[in-house]
Amino acid sequence: MTAEARTPLEELPGEVMMWVLIVSELLVFGAGLAAFLGVRIADPAGFAAAQDTLHRTAAGVNTLVLVTSGYLAARATLWAGDLRHGRSALALVTAAALGVAFVVLKALEFRDLAMQGIGTETHAFYTFYFLLTGFHAAHVVAGVLILLLVAVWNSHRNVEVAGSFWHMVDLVWVLLFPVIYLLR
Amino acid sequence: MTARRLTIAWAWLLGLSLASTAVAALIESGAGTTAAGAAILGVALVKARLILLDYLGLAQAPSWRGGFVVSLGVFTALLAGLYLVPAFL
Repeated sequence: MTAEARTPLEELPGEVMMWVLIVSELLVFGAGLAAFLGVRIADPAGFAAAQDTLHRTAAGVNTLVLVTSGYLAARATLWAGDLRHGRSALALVTAAALGVAFVVLKALEFRDLAMQGIGTETHAFYTFYFLLTGFHAAHVVAGVLILLLVAVWNSHRNVEVAGSFWHMVDLVWVLLFPVIYLLR
Repeated sequence: MTARRLTIAWAWLLGLSLASTAVAALIESGAGTTAAGAAILGVALVKARLILLDYLGLAQAPSWRGGFVVSLGVFTALLAGLYLVPAFL
């Protein structure tokens, strides 16, 4: 089949249903981020003060970790397509390990806030912070498991679909990180 | 998608992530909060576009990439608008 003969749905990389999931997740997180900034309008000083209790540097490091993990997942898809399954599996396991590092850093931040007596009820900022970053971290955990599964059952189709999920997690974070941690 | 293009995208993502964190440090020191905040959102838009086109491979899906990129731009503009509202109140 030539490129010209492809239908729009056939153009999409991976599985169509994965794209339905990606768009759904982007809408959910997008609504959350818009609501966060909407509520901030009433108390920008309070939001800035609450933001100062977060670990911006750790979150910055986590961004580097996640985009590097995404790069490895994308390379794993190329290698699987070239039938270099050993390299693909190694890249996926490394990408998953970076995902674990992300979750550990995030858990340390949650622990530090908890030790300061900060919870979801402390301020509206934290309600959104725990909800959005916690929900995202849950996706990272799910993504790690999926990456490990396709490292074992390594085929181009499996790796491409798993990679799409992982890139969605990456995409959400690059929008979530600046809004929650950086905007003052 | 080629390995070279992926590597270039990755390098841009690393550089832009460091840049946005550096801008945030400037904000903490009290420099131009509103303009810097808008710049941070601009950088986020560029990073998200790189992930969509290169990591997710939409660069090879011409029927979709424009719609995704425009939607992303509209969403980022919405966030920027909400962020800037307190500066005008």
